Amino acid sequence: MKKFDGLNYYEILKIPTNSLSFEIKRAYRDALSIYDDDSPVTYSLFSNEERDNILKTIKEAFLTLIDEHKRAAYDTILTDSGQVDLSITSMINQKKPVPFYTGNMTNIDNFAERVRKKPREKEVEKLLNETLSKDSISGDALRKLREAFEVEISEINAITRISVSVIKSMEENRIENLPPDLYLKNFLKLYAETLQIDPQRIIDGYLKNISLAQKE
Amino acid sequence: MSQIYPIGGGKGGVGKSFITASLGALLAKWGKKVVLIDLDLGGSNLHTLLGINDQQGGINRFLDKTVNNLENTAVSTNIQNLFFISSSLCSMEVANLTHAHKLKIINAIRKLSFDYILLDLGTGTNFNTLDFFLTSKQGIFICTPEPTAIENSFRFIKVVYLRKLKQIVKQHSFISAVKKATVSPNNIAIKSPDIIEIVLKYDPDSESFLRNRLSEFKFKFILNQFRKNLDATIGYKIEDLCNRHFYSNFQFLGNVGYDVRIHDSVLSKKIFVHRYPYTPPAIDMEKIAEKIINNRPSVSLSGEIS
Repeated sequence: MKKFDGLNYYEILKIPTNSLSFEIKRAYRDALSIYDDDSPVTYSLFSNEERDNILKTIKEAFLTLIDEHKRAAYDTILTDSGQVDLSITSMINQKKPVPFYTGNMTNIDNFAERVRKKPREKEVEKLLNETLSKDSISGDALRKLREAFEVEISEINAITRISVSVIKSMEENRIENLPPDLYLKNFLKLYAETLQIDPQRIIDGYLKNISLAQKE
Repeated sequence: MSQIYPIGGGKGGVGKSFITASLGALLAKWGKKVVLIDLDLGGSNLHTLLGINDQQGGINRFLDKTVNNLENTAVSTNIQNLFFISSSLCSMEVANLTHAHKLKIINAIRKLSFDYILLDLGTGTNFNTLDFFLTSKQGIFICTPEPTAIENSFRFIKVVYLRKLKQIVKQHSFISAVKKATVSPNNIAIKSPDIIEIVLKYDPDSESFLRNRLSEFKFKFILNQFRKNLDATIGYKIEDLCNRHFYSNFQFLGNVGYDVRIHDSVLSKKIFVHRYPYTPPAIDMEKIAEKIINNRPSVSLSGEIS
Protein backbone atom coordinates (compact mmCIF):
# COMPACT_ATOMS: atom_id res chain seq x y z
CA MET A 1 0.00 0.00 0.00
CA LYS A 2 1.48 3.28 -1.13
CA LYS A 3 0.99 6.21 1.20
CA PHE A 4 1.70 9.82 0.47
CA ASP A 5 5.46 9.33 0.58
CA GLY A 6 7.31 11.83 -1.51
CA LEU A 7 4.21 13.81 -2.38
CA ASN A 8 4.03 17.49 -1.57
CA TYR A 9 0.92 19.10 -0.12
CA TYR A 10 -0.35 20.18 -3.52
CA GLU A 11 -0.01 16.67 -4.86
CA ILE A 12 -1.73 15.22 -1.82
CA LEU A 13 -4.76 17.45 -2.37
CA LYS A 14 -4.38 17.04 -6.13
CA ILE A 15 -4.44 20.70 -6.96
CA PRO A 16 -2.17 22.88 -9.07
CA THR A 17 0.31 25.01 -7.18
CA ASN A 18 -1.51 28.20 -8.10
CA SER A 19 -4.84 27.12 -6.61
CA LEU A 20 -7.04 29.71 -4.99
CA SER A 21 -8.31 29.17 -1.51
CA PHE A 22 -11.77 28.01 -2.57
CA GLU A 23 -10.14 25.35 -4.73
CA ILE A 24 -8.06 24.23 -1.79
CA LYS A 25 -11.18 23.98 0.34
CA ARG A 26 -12.99 22.03 -2.30
CA ALA A 27 -10.04 19.68 -2.72
CA TYR A 28 -9.95 19.19 1.04
CA ARG A 29 -13.64 18.35 1.17
CA ASP A 30 -13.20 15.91 -1.71
CA ALA A 31 -10.26 14.25 0.01
CA LEU A 32 -12.24 13.91 3.23
CA SER A 33 -15.15 12.37 1.35
CA ILE A 34 -12.78 9.69 0.12
CA TYR A 35 -10.72 9.04 3.23
CA ASP A 36 -13.22 9.56 6.05
CA ASP A 37 -13.95 6.45 8.05
CA ASP A 38 -17.57 6.37 6.90
CA SER A 39 -16.64 6.62 3.23
CA PRO A 40 -17.92 3.49 1.47
CA VAL A 41 -14.92 3.70 -0.83
CA THR A 42 -12.16 3.27 1.71
CA TYR A 43 -13.62 2.00 4.92
CA SER A 44 -12.38 -1.48 4.10
CA LEU A 45 -9.10 -0.51 2.48
CA PHE A 46 -7.13 0.94 5.36
CA SER A 47 -6.49 -0.03 8.93
CA ASN A 48 -7.49 2.58 11.50
CA GLU A 49 -3.89 3.52 12.00
CA GLU A 50 -3.29 3.97 8.28
CA ARG A 51 -6.44 6.02 7.96
CA ASP A 52 -5.55 8.24 10.90
CA ASN A 53 -2.16 8.95 9.41
CA ILE A 54 -3.63 9.71 6.01
CA LEU A 55 -6.26 12.04 7.45
CA LYS A 56 -3.64 13.73 9.58
CA THR A 57 -1.48 14.38 6.52
CA ILE A 58 -4.41 15.69 4.50
CA LYS A 59 -5.40 18.02 7.32
CA GLU A 60 -1.85 19.24 7.67
CA ALA A 61 -1.72 19.90 3.93
CA PHE A 62 -4.98 21.81 4.08
CA LEU A 63 -4.08 23.90 7.11
CA THR A 64 -0.75 24.84 5.57
CA LEU A 65 -2.05 25.77 2.15
CA ILE A 66 -5.12 27.64 3.36
CA ASP A 67 -3.04 29.93 5.55
CA GLU A 68 -1.40 32.60 3.41
CA HIS A 69 1.71 32.90 5.55
CA LYS A 70 2.26 29.21 6.10
CA ARG A 71 1.68 28.60 2.42
CA ALA A 72 4.25 31.21 1.41
CA ALA A 73 6.80 29.62 3.74
CA TYR A 74 5.97 26.17 2.40
CA ASP A 75 6.24 27.36 -1.21
CA THR A 76 9.68 28.73 -0.45
CA ILE A 77 10.79 25.35 0.84
CA LEU A 78 9.42 23.60 -2.23
CA THR A 79 11.06 26.05 -4.61
CA ASP A 80 14.37 25.91 -2.80
CA SER A 81 14.44 22.15 -2.89
CA GLY A 82 13.76 22.38 -6.62
CA GLN A 83 10.59 20.30 -6.38
CA VAL A 84 8.40 22.78 -8.16
CA ASP A 85 8.82 25.96 -10.05
CA LEU A 86 6.59 28.40 -8.28
CA SER A 87 7.63 31.50 -10.18
CA ILE A 88 4.26 31.49 -11.95
CA THR A 89 2.48 30.81 -8.71
CA SER A 90 3.56 33.95 -6.97
CA MET A 91 2.22 36.02 -9.82
CA ILE A 92 -1.14 34.35 -9.84
CA ASN A 93 -1.35 34.44 -6.09
CA GLN A 94 -1.58 38.18 -6.34
CA LYS A 95 -5.04 37.70 -7.75
CA LYS A 96 -6.83 37.67 -4.44
CA PRO A 97 -9.96 35.60 -3.93
CA VAL A 98 -13.20 37.13 -2.72
CA PRO A 99 -12.49 38.29 0.83
CA PHE A 100 -15.59 36.93 2.56
CA TYR A 101 -15.03 33.43 1.45
CA THR A 102 -11.60 33.04 2.98
CA GLY A 103 -13.27 33.62 6.34
CA ASN A 104 -11.47 32.31 9.34
CA MET A 105 -11.49 28.73 8.29
CA THR A 106 -8.15 28.00 9.83
CA ASN A 107 -9.63 28.54 13.24
CA ILE A 108 -12.53 26.27 12.59
CA ASP A 109 -11.42 23.81 15.25
CA ASN A 110 -11.03 26.47 17.86
CA PHE A 111 -14.21 28.10 16.71
CA ALA A 112 -16.57 25.50 18.13
CA GLU A 113 -14.61 25.46 21.35
CA ARG A 114 -14.66 29.24 21.57
CA VAL A 115 -18.41 29.42 21.07
CA ARG A 116 -19.04 26.62 23.53
CA LYS A 117 -17.23 28.45 26.31
CA LYS A 118 -19.01 31.73 25.73
CA PRO A 119 -22.19 31.14 27.77
CA ARG A 120 -19.98 30.67 30.82
CA GLU A 121 -19.42 34.40 30.79
CA LYS A 122 -22.05 36.03 32.98
CA GLU A 123 -23.24 38.70 30.56
CA VAL A 124 -23.46 36.35 27.63
CA GLU A 125 -25.39 33.87 29.72
CA LYS A 126 -27.80 36.55 30.83
CA LEU A 127 -28.40 37.79 27.30
CA LEU A 128 -28.85 34.25 26.03
CA ASN A 129 -31.42 33.39 28.68
CA GLU A 130 -33.25 36.66 28.16
CA THR A 131 -33.47 36.14 24.42
CA LEU A 132 -34.52 32.54 24.59
CA SER A 133 -37.15 33.16 27.23
CA LYS A 134 -38.95 35.60 24.96
CA ASP A 135 -41.81 34.45 22.81
CA SER A 136 -40.61 36.22 19.70
CA ILE A 137 -37.00 36.73 18.65
CA SER A 138 -36.13 39.59 16.36
CA GLY A 139 -33.27 39.81 13.90
CA ASP A 140 -31.78 42.43 16.12
CA ALA A 141 -31.79 39.97 19.01
CA LEU A 142 -29.98 37.47 16.80
CA ARG A 143 -27.35 40.04 15.95
CA LYS A 144 -26.84 40.94 19.60
CA LEU A 145 -26.45 37.29 20.46
CA ARG A 146 -23.97 36.80 17.70
CA GLU A 147 -21.97 39.82 18.76
CA ALA A 148 -22.01 38.66 22.37
CA PHE A 149 -20.53 35.39 21.16
CA GLU A 150 -17.94 37.43 19.28
CA VAL A 151 -18.74 35.70 16.02
CA GLU A 152 -18.38 37.52 12.70
CA ILE A 153 -20.89 37.31 9.89
CA SER A 154 -18.07 36.06 7.69
CA GLU A 155 -17.50 33.17 10.08
CA ILE A 156 -21.14 32.13 9.96
CA ASN A 157 -20.90 32.38 6.21
CA ALA A 158 -17.75 30.29 6.11
CA ILE A 159 -19.24 27.55 8.25
CA THR A 160 -22.86 27.44 7.12
CA ARG A 161 -22.40 28.76 3.58
CA ILE A 162 -25.45 30.96 4.06
CA SER A 163 -24.73 33.99 1.93
CA VAL A 164 -23.73 37.16 3.71
CA SER A 165 -26.65 39.11 2.26
CA VAL A 166 -29.14 36.60 3.64
CA ILE A 167 -27.55 36.68 7.08
CA LYS A 168 -27.75 40.45 7.03
CA SER A 169 -31.38 40.39 5.90
CA MET A 170 -32.16 38.03 8.75
CA GLU A 171 -30.46 40.20 11.32
CA GLU A 172 -31.96 43.41 9.98
CA ASN A 173 -35.49 42.01 9.83
CA ARG A 174 -35.79 42.82 6.13
CA ILE A 175 -38.71 40.51 5.64
CA GLU A 176 -39.13 41.25 1.95
CA ASN A 177 -35.59 39.99 1.31
CA LEU A 178 -35.90 36.78 3.27
CA PRO A 179 -35.96 33.43 1.45
CA PRO A 180 -39.12 31.24 1.48
CA ASP A 181 -39.99 29.73 4.87
CA LEU A 182 -38.62 26.31 4.05
CA TYR A 183 -35.15 27.72 3.40
CA LEU A 184 -35.41 30.32 6.11
CA LYS A 185 -36.06 27.64 8.74
CA ASN A 186 -33.02 25.73 7.66
CA PHE A 187 -30.89 28.89 7.64
CA LEU A 188 -32.07 29.75 11.14
CA LYS A 189 -31.28 26.23 12.23
CA LEU A 190 -27.74 26.46 10.85
CA TYR A 191 -27.30 29.91 12.36
CA ALA A 192 -28.42 28.65 15.77
CA GLU A 193 -26.25 25.57 15.52
CA THR A 194 -23.23 27.69 14.74
CA LEU A 195 -23.83 29.55 17.98
CA GLN A 196 -24.64 26.25 19.68
CA ILE A 197 -28.06 27.30 20.88
CA ASP A 198 -31.34 25.44 20.60
CA PRO A 199 -32.36 25.72 16.90
CA GLN A 200 -36.05 25.05 17.51
CA ARG A 201 -36.33 27.97 19.95
CA ILE A 202 -34.68 30.30 17.43
CA ILE A 203 -36.84 29.12 14.52
CA ASP A 204 -40.08 29.42 16.51
CA GLY A 205 -39.14 32.78 17.98
CA TYR A 206 -37.99 34.26 14.72
CA LEU A 207 -41.02 33.11 12.72
CA LYS A 208 -43.27 34.43 15.47
CA ASN A 209 -41.53 37.78 15.23
CA ILE A 210 -42.09 37.88 11.47
CA SER A 211 -45.76 37.07 11.71
CA LEU A 212 -46.18 39.78 14.39
CA ALA A 213 -44.42 42.29 12.16
CA GLN A 214 -46.57 41.35 9.18
CA LYS A 215 -49.78 41.89 11.15
CA GLU A 216 -48.88 45.45 11.97
CA MET B 1 -2.93 -11.52 -31.20
CA SER B 2 -5.74 -12.51 -28.86
CA GLN B 3 -6.61 -10.22 -26.05
CA ILE B 4 -7.42 -12.01 -22.83
CA TYR B 5 -9.73 -10.37 -20.33
CA PRO B 6 -10.24 -12.32 -17.11
CA ILE B 7 -13.42 -11.13 -15.39
CA GLY B 8 -13.38 -11.56 -11.64
CA GLY B 9 -13.99 -9.80 -8.35
CA GLY B 10 -14.21 -11.19 -4.90
CA LYS B 11 -17.91 -11.15 -4.18
CA GLY B 12 -20.56 -13.49 -5.50
CA GLY B 13 -23.72 -12.30 -7.21
CA VAL B 14 -22.23 -9.05 -8.47
CA GLY B 15 -22.82 -10.05 -12.08
CA LYS B 16 -19.52 -11.45 -13.34
CA SER B 17 -21.16 -14.02 -15.62
CA PHE B 18 -23.84 -11.57 -16.71
CA ILE B 19 -21.26 -8.96 -17.71
CA THR B 20 -19.10 -11.60 -19.42
CA ALA B 21 -22.03 -12.77 -21.54
CA SER B 22 -23.14 -9.24 -22.36
CA LEU B 23 -19.69 -7.92 -23.21
CA GLY B 24 -19.01 -11.00 -25.32
CA ALA B 25 -22.23 -10.47 -27.28
CA LEU B 26 -21.45 -6.77 -27.81
CA LEU B 27 -17.86 -7.36 -28.92
CA ALA B 28 -19.13 -10.02 -31.34
CA LYS B 29 -21.65 -7.53 -32.67
CA TRP B 30 -18.74 -5.27 -33.57
CA GLY B 31 -17.48 -8.04 -35.79
CA LYS B 32 -14.85 -9.37 -33.41
CA LYS B 33 -14.29 -13.07 -32.99
CA VAL B 34 -14.94 -13.70 -29.31
CA VAL B 35 -14.77 -16.73 -27.08
CA LEU B 36 -16.19 -16.91 -23.57
CA ILE B 37 -14.67 -19.45 -21.24
CA ASP B 38 -16.50 -20.49 -18.12
CA LEU B 39 -13.74 -20.83 -15.53
CA ASP B 40 -16.04 -20.77 -12.55
CA LEU B 41 -15.04 -24.37 -12.10
CA GLY B 42 -17.54 -26.23 -9.98
CA GLY B 43 -19.99 -23.33 -10.21
CA SER B 44 -20.47 -23.02 -13.93
CA ASN B 45 -23.55 -21.35 -15.25
CA LEU B 46 -22.44 -19.14 -18.08
CA HIS B 47 -23.98 -21.63 -20.51
CA THR B 48 -27.40 -21.00 -19.00
CA LEU B 49 -27.06 -17.25 -19.41
CA LEU B 50 -26.17 -17.87 -23.05
CA GLY B 51 -29.15 -20.17 -23.50
CA ILE B 52 -26.98 -23.17 -24.30
CA ASN B 53 -28.06 -26.60 -23.19
CA ASP B 54 -24.62 -28.02 -22.61
CA GLN B 55 -24.56 -31.71 -23.50
CA GLN B 56 -21.06 -32.27 -24.82
CA GLY B 57 -18.95 -30.27 -22.37
CA GLY B 58 -15.80 -28.34 -23.07
CA ILE B 59 -12.93 -28.12 -20.65
CA ASN B 60 -13.66 -31.62 -19.35
CA ARG B 61 -12.95 -33.08 -22.80
CA PHE B 62 -9.72 -31.14 -22.95
CA LEU B 63 -8.62 -32.29 -19.49
CA ASP B 64 -9.43 -35.96 -20.12
CA LYS B 65 -7.60 -35.73 -23.45
CA THR B 66 -10.62 -36.61 -25.61
CA VAL B 67 -9.78 -33.39 -27.41
CA ASN B 68 -6.19 -32.25 -27.77
CA ASN B 69 -6.75 -28.69 -28.74
CA LEU B 70 -8.83 -26.48 -26.42
CA GLU B 71 -9.95 -24.50 -29.44
CA ASN B 72 -11.88 -27.52 -30.71
CA THR B 73 -14.06 -27.57 -27.62
CA ALA B 74 -15.44 -24.12 -28.43
CA VAL B 75 -19.04 -24.28 -29.56
CA SER B 76 -20.84 -21.60 -31.54
CA THR B 77 -23.69 -19.71 -29.91
CA ASN B 78 -26.79 -18.25 -31.53
CA ILE B 79 -24.79 -15.06 -31.96
CA GLN B 80 -22.48 -14.78 -34.91
CA ASN B 81 -18.78 -14.58 -34.00
CA LEU B 82 -19.46 -15.54 -30.40
CA PHE B 83 -18.07 -18.86 -29.20
CA PHE B 84 -18.20 -20.58 -25.88
CA ILE B 85 -16.15 -23.09 -23.94
CA SER B 86 -18.10 -24.71 -21.16
CA SER B 87 -17.01 -26.28 -17.91
CA SER B 88 -20.39 -27.48 -16.76
CA LEU B 89 -19.66 -31.13 -17.42
CA CYS B 90 -16.33 -31.21 -15.61
CA SER B 91 -15.99 -33.61 -12.71
CA MET B 92 -17.87 -32.77 -9.54
CA GLU B 93 -14.56 -32.12 -7.81
CA VAL B 94 -13.13 -29.85 -10.49
CA ALA B 95 -13.12 -26.87 -8.15
CA ASN B 96 -9.98 -28.39 -6.65
CA LEU B 97 -8.04 -28.41 -9.85
CA THR B 98 -4.56 -29.90 -9.76
CA HIS B 99 -1.69 -27.56 -10.42
CA ALA B 100 -0.76 -29.41 -13.61
CA HIS B 101 -4.28 -29.17 -14.97
CA LYS B 102 -4.43 -25.51 -14.14
CA LEU B 103 -1.21 -24.81 -16.04
CA LYS B 104 -2.48 -26.90 -18.92
CA ILE B 105 -5.63 -24.79 -19.15
CA ILE B 106 -3.77 -21.48 -18.80
CA ASN B 107 -1.26 -22.37 -21.48
CA ALA B 108 -4.01 -23.57 -23.81
CA ILE B 109 -5.95 -20.32 -23.29
CA ARG B 110 -2.90 -18.31 -24.25
CA LYS B 111 -2.65 -20.25 -27.49
CA LEU B 112 -6.26 -19.72 -28.58
CA SER B 113 -6.68 -17.54 -31.62
CA PHE B 114 -9.63 -15.23 -31.18
CA ASP B 115 -9.82 -11.45 -31.12
CA TYR B 116 -11.10 -11.47 -27.57
CA ILE B 117 -11.02 -14.15 -24.93
CA LEU B 118 -13.21 -13.44 -21.91
CA LEU B 119 -12.72 -15.60 -18.84
CA ASP B 120 -15.65 -15.83 -16.46
CA LEU B 121 -14.13 -16.49 -13.03
CA GLY B 122 -15.62 -17.74 -9.81
CA THR B 123 -16.20 -16.05 -6.49
CA GLY B 124 -13.61 -15.84 -3.78
CA THR B 125 -9.87 -15.77 -3.78
CA ASN B 126 -8.69 -19.34 -4.15
CA PHE B 127 -5.47 -20.02 -6.06
CA ASN B 128 -7.20 -21.23 -9.22
CA THR B 129 -9.24 -18.07 -9.53
CA LEU B 130 -6.21 -15.90 -8.82
CA ASP B 131 -4.03 -17.68 -11.37
CA PHE B 132 -6.70 -17.50 -14.04
CA PHE B 133 -7.04 -13.83 -13.25
CA LEU B 134 -3.30 -13.42 -13.69
CA THR B 135 -3.41 -15.10 -17.12
CA SER B 136 -3.38 -11.60 -18.50
CA LYS B 137 -2.26 -8.21 -17.27
CA GLN B 138 -5.59 -6.59 -17.92
CA GLY B 139 -8.04 -8.30 -15.59
CA ILE B 140 -11.46 -6.74 -15.09
CA PHE B 141 -13.01 -6.55 -11.61
CA ILE B 142 -16.75 -6.51 -11.32
CA CYS B 143 -18.04 -4.80 -8.25
CA THR B 144 -21.29 -3.27 -7.06
CA PRO B 145 -21.39 0.10 -5.32
CA GLU B 146 -21.97 -1.44 -1.90
CA PRO B 147 -19.52 -1.53 1.00
CA THR B 148 -19.56 -5.33 1.07
CA ALA B 149 -18.70 -5.68 -2.60
CA ILE B 150 -16.13 -2.91 -2.49
CA GLU B 151 -14.54 -4.55 0.54
CA ASN B 152 -14.31 -7.88 -1.26
CA SER B 153 -12.89 -6.22 -4.36
CA PHE B 154 -10.13 -4.61 -2.37
CA ARG B 155 -9.38 -7.93 -0.77
CA PHE B 156 -9.35 -9.54 -4.19
CA ILE B 157 -6.94 -6.91 -5.51
CA LYS B 158 -4.67 -7.33 -2.52
CA VAL B 159 -4.65 -11.10 -2.83
CA VAL B 160 -4.01 -10.95 -6.58
CA TYR B 161 -1.12 -8.68 -5.77
CA LEU B 162 0.26 -10.98 -3.16
CA ARG B 163 -0.01 -13.92 -5.54
CA LYS B 164 1.79 -11.99 -8.26
CA LEU B 165 4.45 -10.76 -5.89
CA LYS B 166 5.11 -14.26 -4.73
CA GLN B 167 5.52 -15.39 -8.32
CA ILE B 168 7.94 -12.59 -9.04
CA VAL B 169 9.92 -13.12 -5.88
CA LYS B 170 10.12 -16.86 -6.53
CA GLN B 171 11.35 -16.49 -10.08
CA HIS B 172 13.84 -13.69 -9.76
CA SER B 173 16.83 -13.12 -7.62
CA PHE B 174 15.90 -11.40 -4.46
CA ILE B 175 17.79 -11.45 -1.24
CA SER B 176 16.82 -14.49 0.78
CA ALA B 177 15.29 -12.39 3.55
CA VAL B 178 12.73 -11.14 1.06
CA LYS B 179 11.98 -14.62 -0.16
CA LYS B 180 11.53 -15.77 3.37
CA ALA B 181 9.28 -12.86 4.26
CA THR B 182 7.03 -13.25 1.25
CA VAL B 183 6.97 -16.94 0.63
CA SER B 184 6.91 -18.50 4.06
CA PRO B 185 3.29 -18.95 5.08
CA ASN B 186 3.66 -18.20 8.76
CA ASN B 187 5.04 -14.76 8.29
CA ILE B 188 3.00 -11.67 9.06
CA ALA B 189 3.79 -10.50 5.57
CA ILE B 190 1.08 -12.82 4.33
CA LYS B 191 -1.50 -10.70 6.09
CA SER B 192 -0.11 -7.49 4.80
CA PRO B 193 0.07 -6.93 1.05
CA ASP B 194 2.84 -4.49 1.58
CA ILE B 195 5.69 -6.51 0.24
CA ILE B 196 7.17 -3.54 -1.56
CA GLU B 197 8.04 -2.18 1.85
CA ILE B 198 9.67 -5.42 2.85
CA VAL B 199 11.67 -5.45 -0.35
CA LEU B 200 12.65 -1.86 0.25
CA LYS B 201 13.86 -2.75 3.69
CA TYR B 202 15.90 -5.81 2.81
CA ASP B 203 16.71 -5.43 -0.85
CA PRO B 204 16.51 -1.83 -2.02
CA ASP B 205 18.29 -2.61 -5.30
CA SER B 206 15.39 -4.73 -6.49
CA GLU B 207 12.78 -2.17 -5.66
CA SER B 208 12.56 -0.49 -9.05
CA PHE B 209 12.50 -3.87 -10.77
CA LEU B 210 9.55 -4.90 -8.65
CA ARG B 211 7.78 -1.61 -9.19
CA ASN B 212 8.21 -1.94 -12.94
CA ARG B 213 6.82 -5.42 -12.93
CA LEU B 214 3.77 -4.34 -10.97
CA SER B 215 3.21 -1.25 -13.07
CA GLU B 216 2.75 -3.50 -16.11
CA PHE B 217 -0.69 -4.39 -14.81
CA LYS B 218 -3.56 -2.39 -16.23
CA PHE B 219 -6.49 -3.51 -14.14
CA LYS B 220 -9.97 -2.42 -15.07
CA PHE B 221 -13.19 -2.39 -13.15
CA ILE B 222 -16.91 -2.00 -13.67
CA LEU B 223 -19.55 -0.99 -11.13
CA ASN B 224 -22.59 -3.13 -11.77
CA GLN B 225 -26.17 -2.82 -10.44
CA PHE B 226 -25.72 0.90 -10.18
CA ARG B 227 -28.83 2.64 -8.90
CA LYS B 228 -29.75 6.17 -9.76
CA ASN B 229 -29.62 7.73 -6.32
CA LEU B 230 -25.92 7.01 -5.86
CA ASP B 231 -22.95 9.27 -6.26
CA ALA B 232 -22.08 8.74 -9.93
CA THR B 233 -18.44 9.66 -9.37
CA ILE B 234 -17.80 6.85 -6.91
CA GLY B 235 -16.14 4.75 -9.64
CA TYR B 236 -13.71 7.53 -10.45
CA LYS B 237 -12.99 7.95 -6.76
CA ILE B 238 -12.10 4.27 -6.51
CA GLU B 239 -9.99 4.50 -9.66
CA ASP B 240 -8.15 7.46 -8.25
CA LEU B 241 -7.67 5.81 -4.90
CA CYS B 242 -6.33 2.57 -6.40
CA ASN B 243 -3.94 4.42 -8.66
CA ARG B 244 -2.65 6.29 -5.65
CA HIS B 245 -2.30 3.46 -3.22
CA PHE B 246 -1.51 0.42 -5.33
CA TYR B 247 1.47 0.11 -7.61
CA SER B 248 -0.41 -0.67 -10.83
CA ASN B 249 -2.67 1.11 -13.23
CA PHE B 250 -6.43 1.03 -12.66
CA GLN B 251 -9.06 2.08 -15.15
CA PHE B 252 -12.73 2.59 -14.36
CA LEU B 253 -14.71 1.36 -17.36
CA GLY B 254 -18.09 2.64 -16.23
CA ASN B 255 -21.27 2.01 -14.30
CA VAL B 256 -23.84 -0.48 -15.46
CA GLY B 257 -27.32 0.53 -14.36
CA TYR B 258 -29.62 -1.65 -12.33
CA ASP B 259 -32.67 -2.88 -14.23
CA VAL B 260 -35.37 -5.35 -13.21
CA ARG B 261 -35.50 -6.64 -16.77
CA ILE B 262 -32.09 -8.19 -16.28
CA HIS B 263 -33.82 -10.68 -14.05
CA ASP B 264 -36.35 -11.41 -16.82
CA SER B 265 -33.60 -12.07 -19.32
CA VAL B 266 -31.91 -14.51 -16.95
CA LEU B 267 -35.22 -16.33 -16.42
CA SER B 268 -35.83 -16.58 -20.13
CA LYS B 269 -32.20 -17.66 -20.75
CA LYS B 270 -31.68 -14.92 -23.31
CA ILE B 271 -28.73 -12.57 -23.53
CA PHE B 272 -29.90 -9.30 -22.03
CA VAL B 273 -28.26 -6.93 -24.51
CA HIS B 274 -30.04 -8.78 -27.30
CA ARG B 275 -33.41 -8.92 -25.72
CA TYR B 276 -33.43 -5.34 -24.42
CA PRO B 277 -30.85 -3.50 -26.53
CA TYR B 278 -32.11 0.00 -25.76
CA THR B 279 -32.28 -0.19 -21.99
CA PRO B 280 -29.86 1.82 -19.82
CA PRO B 281 -27.75 -1.20 -18.77
CA ALA B 282 -27.38 -2.31 -22.39
CA ILE B 283 -26.28 1.16 -23.42
CA ASP B 284 -23.88 1.33 -20.47
CA MET B 285 -22.33 -1.94 -21.54
CA GLU B 286 -22.09 -0.83 -25.13
CA LYS B 287 -19.97 2.09 -23.98
CA ILE B 288 -17.78 -0.27 -21.99
CA ALA B 289 -17.36 -2.59 -24.98
CA GLU B 290 -16.33 0.40 -27.03
CA LYS B 291 -13.72 1.35 -24.45
CA ILE B 292 -12.35 -2.17 -24.49
CA ILE B 293 -12.10 -2.17 -28.29
CA ASN B 294 -10.29 1.15 -28.20
CA ASN B 295 -7.84 -0.07 -25.59
CA ARG B 296 -4.53 -0.72 -27.23
CA PRO B 297 -2.63 -2.91 -24.86
CA SER B 298 1.07 -2.21 -25.02
CA VAL B 299 2.00 -5.13 -22.81
CA SER B 300 2.95 -8.46 -24.21
CA LEU B 301 1.06 -11.41 -22.83
CA SER B 302 3.94 -13.79 -22.99
CA GLY B 303 4.81 -13.32 -19.36
CA GLU B 304 5.82 -16.05 -16.99
CA ILE B 305 3.43 -18.69 -15.83
CA SER B 306 3.18 -19.84 -12.26
